[in-house]
Amino acid sequence: MYKYILRRLLLAVPVLLLSSLIVFGLMRVMPGDALIALMGESGNVGEKELAKLRKDLGLDKPYHEQYLIWLWQMVSFNPGHSIFTNEPIPEALKKAIPVTLELAALAMVLGLLIAVPIGVLSATRQDHASDYVGRFVAVFGLSVPDFWFGTLVITFAAIWFQWIPPIGYASFWEDPLTNLQQFLLPAAVLGFRLSAATMRMTRSTVLEVLREDYVRTAWAKGLAGRMVVYKHALKNALIPVVTIVGGQLGVLLAGTVVVETIFALPGMGRLTVEAILYRDYPIVQTNVMLVAATLVTLNLLVDLTYAWLDPRIRYR
Amino acid sequence: MNTLAAPAGAVDEIVTTVEVSRGRALWTTIRRKPLGAVSALLIVVIVLTALFANVLAPYDPLDADPTIRLAAPSVAHPFGTDDIGRDVFSRIIHGSRISLWVGLLAVGIGTAVGMVIGLACGYWEGRLDMILQRVMDAVQAIPGLVLALAIVSVLKPSTTNAMIAIAIVIIPGNSRIVRGAVMSAKQNRYVEAAQAIGCRQPRIVLTHILPNVTAPILVIASIWLGNAILIEATLSFLGVGTQPPTPSWGLMLSSTGRAFMEQAPWLAIFPGLAISVAVLAFNLFGDTLRDAWDPKLSRN
Repeated sequence: MYKYILRRLLLAVPVLLLSSLIVFGLMRVMPGDALIALMGESGNVGEKELAKLRKDLGLDKPYHEQYLIWLWQMVSFNPGHSIFTNEPIPEALKKAIPVTLELAALAMVLGLLIAVPIGVLSATRQDHASDYVGRFVAVFGLSVPDFWFGTLVITFAAIWFQWIPPIGYASFWEDPLTNLQQFLLPAAVLGFRLSAATMRMTRSTVLEVLREDYVRTAWAKGLAGRMVVYKHALKNALIPVVTIVGGQLGVLLAGTVVVETIFALPGMGRLTVEAILYRDYPIVQTNVMLVAATLVTLNLLVDLTYAWLDPRIRYR
Repeated sequence: MNTLAAPAGAVDEIVTTVEVSRGRALWTTIRRKPLGAVSALLIVVIVLTALFANVLAPYDPLDADPTIRLAAPSVAHPFGTDDIGRDVFSRIIHGSRISLWVGLLAVGIGTAVGMVIGLACGYWEGRLDMILQRVMDAVQAIPGLVLALAIVSVLKPSTTNAMIAIAIVIIPGNSRIVRGAVMSAKQNRYVEAAQAIGCRQPRIVLTHILPNVTAPILVIASIWLGNAILIEATLSFLGVGTQPPTPSWGLMLSSTGRAFMEQAPWLAIFPGLAISVAVLAFNLFGDTLRDAWDPKLSRN
């Protein structure tokens, strides 16, 4: 197991380095540079100021030097300032990360609460009406854009129940009730989206496991249906579900971008979208890199969990 | 010579049976799962709508008439009108062009590049495979939508750039699936036989391996089409895809749909419905293709 962990860790480093090169490269492909694009749009900045700004931001140095400086900034958790608000990026992140974490965690829990029971029901009643409904809900969840679903949820909550989520973000520790009111709808929208794939996976693995010999044995020795499904089948069926949930972390992170924008939650996603619209490239490259690093780390953890659950994987 | 000719004929026969059975497999699946047929029909309708948008749309999608702004759905305007009095129905019909065009091109480019990388990695393996796959890992480490957002922000928001961004997002996953399929196709005896009789490597790859990995490629492409349409709509919704006044489903939702959603919910409902139906059709059709041609893929 240690060897496996070490090998995976060693593989993750070059991947992250390559990702950082891609992100850095992308930000430098911009015609001219970020500043000209930025200042050109506002149109009222002199050549002198531009040169000074460029020097302050280190944009006058050669590319490889800029890259190394940026890499060092990322590793030492000091990625500089926003061009637009001049706020230190760690400060902005400190405010945004908890919002996204809370949204993601709630969405994940809600997603699983929706997905696993429906998936099991779909499998145990294969080709019955409830299976068709379950499968349709799953495909529907994969097809409905979350920004549309979110917009409809807000609209109809307002029209039918005269209810709009409280405005102005409240942190969970200061005002848990307001906070939950703000997070429940967006988390449900995101969770529904996540549940689609998990539902399909749960259905197909439970179906597969239900055909195994030990399940037949469980039936044969006269166990109750619920016991067979939940104790014998579901437990084993959940292993691949862990992977699909792990594989969805990317969808989850991307989903927060859209959902935060619609529900006006000041998280990482909204910070990134705003930075992109204002071409605030220090924030964009920091956030994209942070998301990539998080995803690689989480995927690594998921793989390690999986290898721990299923020893065959380590020896591949 | 005669003894050699017989097996060659037999191989031809097997090849034609495979060709026939692929169509038949699709037909059997569609008959067993009518949803497949429904989705195929929906796709035909969407394609025809996009092709004949000019004929089908009752009004010019850009024609504004301020006297009928925010009019509710009626016989004259089945989906109502928007904030400057443009016919929503006509705009949705024209919007199908953008969605389909971006989807097809992005998936076409993404699949083609992914296929080339996958073929090279799967056939030659070794150092090339190691390097290219690590690059693919690095691209995949960034969530698709975030990567697309970053690319579009660099290239400037536009339909074409959204398409390029989506194509780049598609490449890594595709290359990996093709690579896997090539690696298993390579184990076949006929590849060994082709190597033994001295076929050149490009010929082995193109005429012996490629035809045997087209099923997973087509299945993945069809599944990606729905996704590509969804990403384009999302990018346009966030303001970095198609720019106004071009009618794009995602853009219609964000610009007028959200601003007037309580006074005029039809502005949000119909474009969203159009996106959902299109994506649903491609997802279902992709599932059907997969069940028919490549049951192994459904496990992954």
